Amino acid sequence: MTETSDLLKFGISIAQDEKIDEVIAQRTKGKGYQIRFSNSMIDNSKIWRDDNLELFLAKGKKSTYLEIEAPTQAKIRSRIKDASKFLERLPDSFLYNGMESNQHEYEKLNKLYDPKIMDFSDKAPELVNAAIQASLESGAKKVAGVLYFGRSETELSTSYGNEGLYLGSYYRFTIRSFVDPDSSGQGLACSRNLSGVENDFLKAGNNAGEIAKMAIGGTQGTPGKYDVIMSPTVAANVLGQVFDGLNPVKIMVGMSPLKYEHVGKQIASKEFTVIDDALLAEGLGSRPFDVEGTPKGKTPIFSDGVLKGLLQNTSTSNMDKVENTGNSTFFDFGIGSKFLAPGPSNIAINGGDYTLEEIIAESKKPTIYITSNWYTRFTNMTEGIFSTIPRDGMFLIENGEIKKPVRRLRLSDNLLRICSNISAIGKDVKQIYWWEVLTPTFTPTIKVKDCTITAATQ
Amino acid sequence: MENGKDLADFAIDYGASCGASYIEARVVASRNESYAARNGVILGGGITYSSGIAIRVLANGGMGFCSTASLTKIGIENGIEEAIKLAKASKRIIPITFSEEEVAQTKWKSPVKIKFEEISIEEKQNFLIDLDKVLNKEFRFKLPTRTLLLDLYSDQKYIVTNEGSKVESENSIISAHTFNTAKGKAGGEQRMLSLGGTGGWEWIEEENVVERILEDNISLVKAARNAIEKDINQIDVVISGEVAGIMAHENVGHPSEADRILGREGAQAGESFYIDLLENEKLGEIKMGSEQVTIIDDPTQQGNSGFYLYDDECVKARPRYLIKNGMLNELFLNREYASRYNTHSNAAARAMGYNREPIIRMANTYFAPGDFTFEELFDDIKHGIYMKSFTEWNIDDRRFQSKYVGLEVYLIENGEVTDTMIRRPVLELTTYGILGSVDGVSKDFSSPHGYCGKGEPQQAAPVWLGGPHVRLRNIKLGGGIK
Repeated sequence: MTETSDLLKFGISIAQDEKIDEVIAQRTKGKGYQIRFSNSMIDNSKIWRDDNLELFLAKGKKSTYLEIEAPTQAKIRSRIKDASKFLERLPDSFLYNGMESNQHEYEKLNKLYDPKIMDFSDKAPELVNAAIQASLESGAKKVAGVLYFGRSETELSTSYGNEGLYLGSYYRFTIRSFVDPDSSGQGLACSRNLSGVENDFLKAGNNAGEIAKMAIGGTQGTPGKYDVIMSPTVAANVLGQVFDGLNPVKIMVGMSPLKYEHVGKQIASKEFTVIDDALLAEGLGSRPFDVEGTPKGKTPIFSDGVLKGLLQNTSTSNMDKVENTGNSTFFDFGIGSKFLAPGPSNIAINGGDYTLEEIIAESKKPTIYITSNWYTRFTNMTEGIFSTIPRDGMFLIENGEIKKPVRRLRLSDNLLRICSNISAIGKDVKQIYWWEVLTPTFTPTIKVKDCTITAATQ
Repeated sequence: MENGKDLADFAIDYGASCGASYIEARVVASRNESYAARNGVILGGGITYSSGIAIRVLANGGMGFCSTASLTKIGIENGIEEAIKLAKASKRIIPITFSEEEVAQTKWKSPVKIKFEEISIEEKQNFLIDLDKVLNKEFRFKLPTRTLLLDLYSDQKYIVTNEGSKVESENSIISAHTFNTAKGKAGGEQRMLSLGGTGGWEWIEEENVVERILEDNISLVKAARNAIEKDINQIDVVISGEVAGIMAHENVGHPSEADRILGREGAQAGESFYIDLLENEKLGEIKMGSEQVTIIDDPTQQGNSGFYLYDDECVKARPRYLIKNGMLNELFLNREYASRYNTHSNAAARAMGYNREPIIRMANTYFAPGDFTFEELFDDIKHGIYMKSFTEWNIDDRRFQSKYVGLEVYLIENGEVTDTMIRRPVLELTTYGILGSVDGVSKDFSSPHGYCGKGEPQQAAPVWLGGPHVRLRNIKLGGGIK
């Protein structure tokens, strides 16, 4: 018995004393660091000492969620008593249809934790400065970025007797190099394992510097129809909008381009195969169980372009009368209280047969290669109509060769059309997790035909 | 809160004894109550409390930050020691310094007539249920998907620095959000609307929130049912206060943030095209647009979502005139970037939560009203469009090339706004393209609430953005996606 499991059991027993039917108690303790840098110098080094207890309480079809920071028995007793009174005054919710009630043993995912994380803070500033230096040496004039790293211990206990614990370590590194204000490139690296982290940082720094150099002298691009090559960073963001929509709650409120009638149909190119994989050793979203205590595993999403199903938890699978995929999360709309709803763990897109060089060489039609993007927004989420803004090096390809760097264009298209127009998939699968991609996504370079590229008119 | 204040005072003494040249401690205790409803049924609700302390230090020219919810002396000592160690390990060639500012010892709070806790849980839920009844009665199948959210946030804050500043505050922000889908002949239209302000429960009645949401949904349904595709090229455009407000925020507010201009957000929200402008010319000498363009950000506007009287570095807030009569006039500054420009901070430092660092943020940003009446703006437009609201928007990370897709948009012919609605026209314009084409600004004013995303980890700051009606001449509409 750990101190945490005692505290979780205490919370469950207090809730049961308050006549709560079902309880989830999950505590996450950890220490996280961030080193931010810009102008080739470290700007701020941060330390977060986190200790957060999340509680989900259900009585019949009424449910509520609360968080208790730095939990103590006194805080837990008082907050649960308040929450119990609050819960009594909520109406039944049709969204709540039960939680995991079967008992489970969980797979041990030992690779999620690397003990080297314990003393990583001693050398992290030095490694960041070395990566900055590498980028400067590869041609950058100034470098900005961020390194996150840390460790966390997550322990779960539910009123159905499910108990689990896992340790995690992580780092994620973003480096953006500028040769001049308009010529920039970005490099990313992330993992749970710190083996080879020095080289990963240097490689990311070098990549960023190389793209920035290639972007020198870029000119205003011409709007029109192009094939588009999305780097893994861009593919993770753009296709990530589709994967976020695998949630039945999002479909219900109109925040997804996916529809129930898409399930079982081919809505993407045949080359497109994707799974939600919670067991990837390197995956920053890996975990042995979801927040209800359902064991996690691999869930097919797209198989040869066919949408195999949505992500589910107990409530939505009961509503949809399908299998629970073990994807329960504490979910919110970005504003307001959390509730139980499905969400992705790690998205893994199957790699294809091509190198980036081969994809470029095969691009005989005018093609735009986008290395990074941001600010993806929708005109209509159910229709999938969106635009996103390329940033960093962007290149026009003609007759199989990079012709010149281009600037100030916008990818304005439709998500479903993009899925069905995938024309080539690279073999360079890479985990992407950064400011614009908050679901860890393993993706290669992806080429899409006939995309709409727009630009400012004046 | 009292224990937290004592610990914050302790942190200042302890940090100074450990060799920090600057130390600031910020204790925040917050309460967040919220409810969500879909098609008249409450999906869920909850009340979450958060409290903790953040400490920021400068040591050997580097900056360190630590935060914890565990309010113990030993935890704070360990955090400060490690933050100082990391600050020193930064090995910056150019040390971080802060501008000299007046020491502030004061308290402020947002005026609240009815505290959220005084209203029953049932009444709060009924607000959403009744609001949905109003919408359902008015629209029925025309508005088939309705998601309504109510968010009630309040906090108490205590900030203390080793320079002697001590500022206590109490803030309360209420906001209502709708995300609705209307059905129409050509598919449907969607709209995310946020209304909000600083204040208590009284805001709902005083700001006619139900009526404003109803009116907004009338527009949404009209757009879904009536708007038609039309090929339009060069045209005059009148934009509403809502559209002028988002442009003031995105095209002028963000590039005016000094941390962007000087590169600190380079790997996140990006830099600013102002960096090129300020290389060769000075503030006050750079023409950004026509003389009718004045854009102001004023945190001291009581009742608006971005209201505050002292920022999170204990600097007294005041209006910032970002563009005055078409000329670039002022940047957003915190103490670090004021020092870089050898001037004083204009109190732009805000932190969203105890565990976030204060960074440069906007507050209440608006396009200043002009002399025209609403009708006068249309008088000499032969052929144009009137864009009352927008859906999709984005802008590049130098804040130069922006896009705004119209939602409720009417054709203007011979000086009159017609009943003909245009489907999803796109303004895809550079910042100069917008500001340089302004030739008329009305006296009236409107403004929604919003959240501004910036920083890493992301800090969603409540802001307010508004303006009058603004006329843009000879605009070439952009390419949308059919």
